[in-house]
Amino acid sequence: MRYVEEFRDPALGRALSAQILSLLEPGRHYKLMEVCGGHTHTIYKYGIDDLLPESVELVHGPGCPVCVIPMGRVDDGIAIAGREGVIFACFGDMMRVPGSRGTLLEAKAAGADVRVVYSPLDALRLAKANPDRDVVFFAIGFETTAPSTALTLKRARAEGVENFLCMCSHVTIVPPLRALLDSPGLELDGFIGPGHVATIVGLRPFEFVAAEYGRPFVAAGFEPLDVLQSIEMILRQLAAGRAAVENQYTRVVPYEGNPAALRALEEVFELRPEFEWRGMGTIPESALRIADEYAELDAERRYPVPGERVADPLECQCGEVLKGAIKPWECRVFGTSCTPEHAIGACMVSPEGACAAYYNFGRLARREEPV
Amino acid sequence: MSAEPHRCEDGTCITCGDVAVPLRVLSLDAERGLALCADEQGRRETVEIALVAPVRPGERLLVHAGTAIAKPGAL
Repeated sequence: MRYVEEFRDPALGRALSAQILSLLEPGRHYKLMEVCGGHTHTIYKYGIDDLLPESVELVHGPGCPVCVIPMGRVDDGIAIAGREGVIFACFGDMMRVPGSRGTLLEAKAAGADVRVVYSPLDALRLAKANPDRDVVFFAIGFETTAPSTALTLKRARAEGVENFLCMCSHVTIVPPLRALLDSPGLELDGFIGPGHVATIVGLRPFEFVAAEYGRPFVAAGFEPLDVLQSIEMILRQLAAGRAAVENQYTRVVPYEGNPAALRALEEVFELRPEFEWRGMGTIPESALRIADEYAELDAERRYPVPGERVADPLECQCGEVLKGAIKPWECRVFGTSCTPEHAIGACMVSPEGACAAYYNFGRLARREEPV
Repeated sequence: MSAEPHRCEDGTCITCGDVAVPLRVLSLDAERGLALCADEQGRRETVEIALVAPVRPGERLLVHAGTAIAKPGAL
């Protein structure tokens, strides 16, 4: 398939791997963060880390939208899902994310009408098919997904669908990135940037990473050679002693992003003053809510929600994993009491979560120990 | 759901993983701003095209959560 096969060519992969070796300074250790959960998945699925020398360490970032949703927010969703006459629609991974009193899957088992959808458009279709029920779409995701929700809300209004509502938990990537860069003691040499977020927002919002923090940032595609080439581009910058925002994913990412998407986001959403991130605490202006102009489509204005802040489980170290401070296998419950079947933390729930990626691809053992 | 492309196969959720899949446009509903698209295996899906309009049958779109976010290679 065009744009896929040519980015999985083993010979090119070996050449890039050799190129990477030639850029390394002897004795130096490199820590690069892949911001996006999609990259984490590519890295483990294709064994990218096995193609890298020991001195290049990949750290998994906060870019899994399921993993960063705090427990209190799941509780709010379950409260709405349990209301008489409501159909609660969410993405599949959201079903198993634990709140303080269980998951949406458990709420469904207890009688709530919770349905899995694959897009906001699917949820709108559900609303049209059930005109006597309120369909509440639990919107999660970064800037890649938020335009889809925005366009669906606009469509719901244009088509006069009055029983379609949205519980908006969309988040934005720049504030947590800045929070990470401000974390004391966090040593990162560069960033493998989220290619599809950049497709929407462009590269300009990431310029601060190089300009203010002196770290290379390369917007990357999601095929294995995309990721390898991005690593090579970051190491090339480091070898030359420079830091810039570069675009590896040129077949898709325009510097200015997608103007139609940005207009839709601007029209339908506004920034929340603050939002709680699982394991990262409260970050100012890091999430979206539905703007007053679209208030009648906002489930949180229609229905009361508890809105309580719930502390993460004590034994869970998702926060440290999300910040790249520890590897998944260094968490005290990884692979023992926390598994994909019985997840304690959200990083184990989503396949893009760093813990689930390690677990599912058999990386249970510490890398430096012979297995 | 097997008739629809790209769903949460291969142990990955395309929405949560920020993944987008290439689909080809089969036909257009210009009035509603939607396109019927298919993947390499012929599985079909209705796609929102507001972000990449105008779109022609035969074109390839990169689709995330039911919305085309780019035309790969068009830059």
